Amino acid sequence: MRCVPPPRRRVVIWPAVLGLGALVASAACRPSGASQPPPDHDAPDTLVDQDEIAQAQLVRGLVPENDAPAIFFDDARILTAAGVTYERGDLLIARGKILAIGAELEAPADATRIDARGKTLTPGIIDTHSHMGVYASPGFRAHSDGNEMSGPVTAYARAADGYWPQDPQIDRARAGGITTIQVLPGSANLIGGRSVVVKLQPEARSVEDARFPGAPEGLKMACGENPKRVYGEKGGPVTRMGNVAGYRKAFQQAIEYREKMARAQQTEGEEESKGGGPSRDFALETLAKVLDGELLVHNHCYRADEMLLMLDLAEEFGFSIRSFHHAAEAYKIADRLAAANTAASVWADWWGFKAEAYDGIRENAAMLSAAGARAIIHSDSAVGIQRLNQEAAKAASSGRRAGLEISENEALRWITANAAWALGIDDLTGTLEVGKMADVVVWDRDLFSVYAKADQVYIDGRLVYDRQDAEQQPRTDFDLGHRDGDLSAPVAPPSESLPAATPSSSSAATAPKGDAQ
Amino acid sequence: MRRLACFALCVGLLAGLRSPLVEASPTPVAELPARYLITGVELHVGNGSVLAKATLVVEGDRILEVGGPELAARYGDALAIDLSGKILTPGFIASDARIGLEEIGAESSTVDRSLGLDRPIRASYDPASAINASSSLIRVQAIEGVTSAAVAPTGGVLSGTVSFIDLVHGDHQGMVVARGVAIDGSMGQSYAGSHAATLDLLRRSLADARWYRANRRNHDRGQSRTLAAPPKDLEALFPVLDGKAPLTLDLHGAGEILAALELAAEFKVRLVIVGGTEAWRVAEAIAKAKVPVIVMPTENLPGDMDRLGARMDNAALLHRAGVEVVISELGEPHNLRNIKQQAGVAVANGLDPEAALSAITLNAAQAYGMDKDYGSLEKGKVANFVVWDHDPFELDSWAEQVFIRGRRVPMVSRQTLLRDRYMQRLELGK
Repeated sequence: MRCVPPPRRRVVIWPAVLGLGALVASAACRPSGASQPPPDHDAPDTLVDQDEIAQAQLVRGLVPENDAPAIFFDDARILTAAGVTYERGDLLIARGKILAIGAELEAPADATRIDARGKTLTPGIIDTHSHMGVYASPGFRAHSDGNEMSGPVTAYARAADGYWPQDPQIDRARAGGITTIQVLPGSANLIGGRSVVVKLQPEARSVEDARFPGAPEGLKMACGENPKRVYGEKGGPVTRMGNVAGYRKAFQQAIEYREKMARAQQTEGEEESKGGGPSRDFALETLAKVLDGELLVHNHCYRADEMLLMLDLAEEFGFSIRSFHHAAEAYKIADRLAAANTAASVWADWWGFKAEAYDGIRENAAMLSAAGARAIIHSDSAVGIQRLNQEAAKAASSGRRAGLEISENEALRWITANAAWALGIDDLTGTLEVGKMADVVVWDRDLFSVYAKADQVYIDGRLVYDRQDAEQQPRTDFDLGHRDGDLSAPVAPPSESLPAATPSSSSAATAPKGDAQ
Repeated sequence: MRRLACFALCVGLLAGLRSPLVEASPTPVAELPARYLITGVELHVGNGSVLAKATLVVEGDRILEVGGPELAARYGDALAIDLSGKILTPGFIASDARIGLEEIGAESSTVDRSLGLDRPIRASYDPASAINASSSLIRVQAIEGVTSAAVAPTGGVLSGTVSFIDLVHGDHQGMVVARGVAIDGSMGQSYAGSHAATLDLLRRSLADARWYRANRRNHDRGQSRTLAAPPKDLEALFPVLDGKAPLTLDLHGAGEILAALELAAEFKVRLVIVGGTEAWRVAEAIAKAKVPVIVMPTENLPGDMDRLGARMDNAALLHRAGVEVVISELGEPHNLRNIKQQAGVAVANGLDPEAALSAITLNAAQAYGMDKDYGSLEKGKVANFVVWDHDPFELDSWAEQVFIRGRRVPMVSRQTLLRDRYMQRLELGK
């Protein structure tokens, strides 16, 4: 269903509509300058119609409003991660939300206009796998709060309780365009505990200041070598057999616990009169919530055969696995993952550091996409998280080299929309669509270039990082005093002879052609 | 003159670009004659200069000559491969790498990087004989442009001797080009328990090596002071004392770097700083001492108290101060291939692109004293070079063909075979 582009026209957004009515400012058809997206297995249809407006209004109800000012990004290249690319488009955000996106919009009088010519706009980048805050920098022993290694099943543990918002790594990730992360317990345990999804809010003084509103928590599970290695000489599990026995035992207990609690609730009055029902068990309560679908399962699992084993196990016990993580061999079972509707969070090129990572290949994410599965590029690293755009670029390009068609939109979804889906927040963020949270990155050029940098980062419509303005480069408390030297240090001038420095060469010669095809 | 059109030669030359769905042994590559020319390329020498429409003449495993189109006429009877529009760079050199000494990091049976003895000074440990030419890591790096590596052991304060290798998969006889090109070690608290104790141990080791060389007979007669290390480890330091091999030391804090510079001056030792997280803070002192620094540009986290000053423009700041900068992917050897991304990140943070190329080619060769034969596309050097379609640092830029010792590297690795097997099984990309 091709949409004939309307003649270029200016769409006026009246100042008054910055509130409720702004939705209608979206172009009524795919805007001129926007390229037709390739058939994307899970990209929502972005044609704006009444149903969509209704849907967007629904989302608007979910997205909390704030007092963020109206900002109008004028004339940028916009990749929405929702299947639409505006070669020259405008974006209006206010009150924490995206109010309008399109070609040739007119800036409302009360909006701050940002000249974004030559820039690339994308949704804020999302990392499904981070240990920032629970494995903070410096790597002091005191900062090791990610693995509750007191037993192989610690479903009661919560990453939120170990999260240190003053971890200086957080600032560097934000400067790399990251707006949302999932903080997970480590992988020492079969069941490590609950994850927490946070936004990289500057000046957060507690995990609750940063917690993503409305995001479900996750359950961290781990397959394979790690639990075996950690507990092999501490009572087990010693083998993969022991690993699986451990999951089965835990979930069987959860089923029984859930039944017990349900019975207790039915007979509440009776029990009370007898003096006390069953006592609350935080570990089994967590697992029961998994069975109820309230918590999303994030399963560290490298090997193809093990992932299939886990899918069977989940089916047996009546829960689903939202995403496998690290999934070095996901490409071997891309079809099965697609059928199971389970995402795979993978690295672009890590491999070989342990036996279960030995078969990792560059084309993993691309092959997943090609098979219709939901691919995600994650970091698991406070270094890698700063360049998730580059990791996606490598993964996409290697796929194209192998003959797979990976659109620019699809590669972007690996670090935005798909990640949002895995975290259960895709109705709130992850794409640039009207009504969603105004989590936006302004890149200085094609974000898939090795030379790309985030010029500005917005979270909930607020500027949280500006590369050109030291005042807008938040620093956690740890950095104070320690890194003041940076401020007086000689700053290296930007190189003037970058091969991709000129817009013409970067877009024409090196930009992936994905969406234009 | 025999001239091949790109179409014909590209089939073989660029075989790795879209490797056929074969599961058997690496794609056979037609042999090139002993002497051949590559013409029409934009040739980045590695020393900062760039030649347009250049010709590279290869004979055997060496570069016979580098020049312009006139060479084509002079070597009229040789095979000329026209690669107009392509970019030629030297093969990249991975510095301070563990490749060949480690197949799977977590499996100790596949790891040979460290002497298993519990002592801090292990300077005589030479892992060269353990470097595994059959390692799957070799081809994985080679087909993405890494052609040589300085292979360093780990562990202790002085870990052992460094070997320089060409990444020729399967060449058990000849992969190691030179042994003992450096003595590698680590400062920090490493083995000795405190920064000061480490420094003291290094100083005593060098002093004792000097003493031992002058008083060996006394030592053998039992008339010796207590030495910091066994005689064979002190003997291993003789080339360092003579300035024939550098001491490559992993160190990060600015204060510690100054202490190491002082130590090097005291013993007239050639020092190479590895890591150098805070080197930018003392860039002038490093430049004055003419000490190269091997950095990893993505390292910008305050990982410990020696690295509070970590910043991504370290390489650019050092280069601007006149320091010879080497860029490497330090740590895991499995992704040495990302050395070009590291170079790109350095450029994005202010380093001149040609300087970044030198940092992964000629400067690396110089740091290990191998620049007579390696590091740039110049007459007489080993013919290690890479054909690119565009900017090698870019993330969508892949080596089209890699040459090591003048021979084409089959552009196939265990990883491409895995990919092809599952592309076929899942019927992807059709």
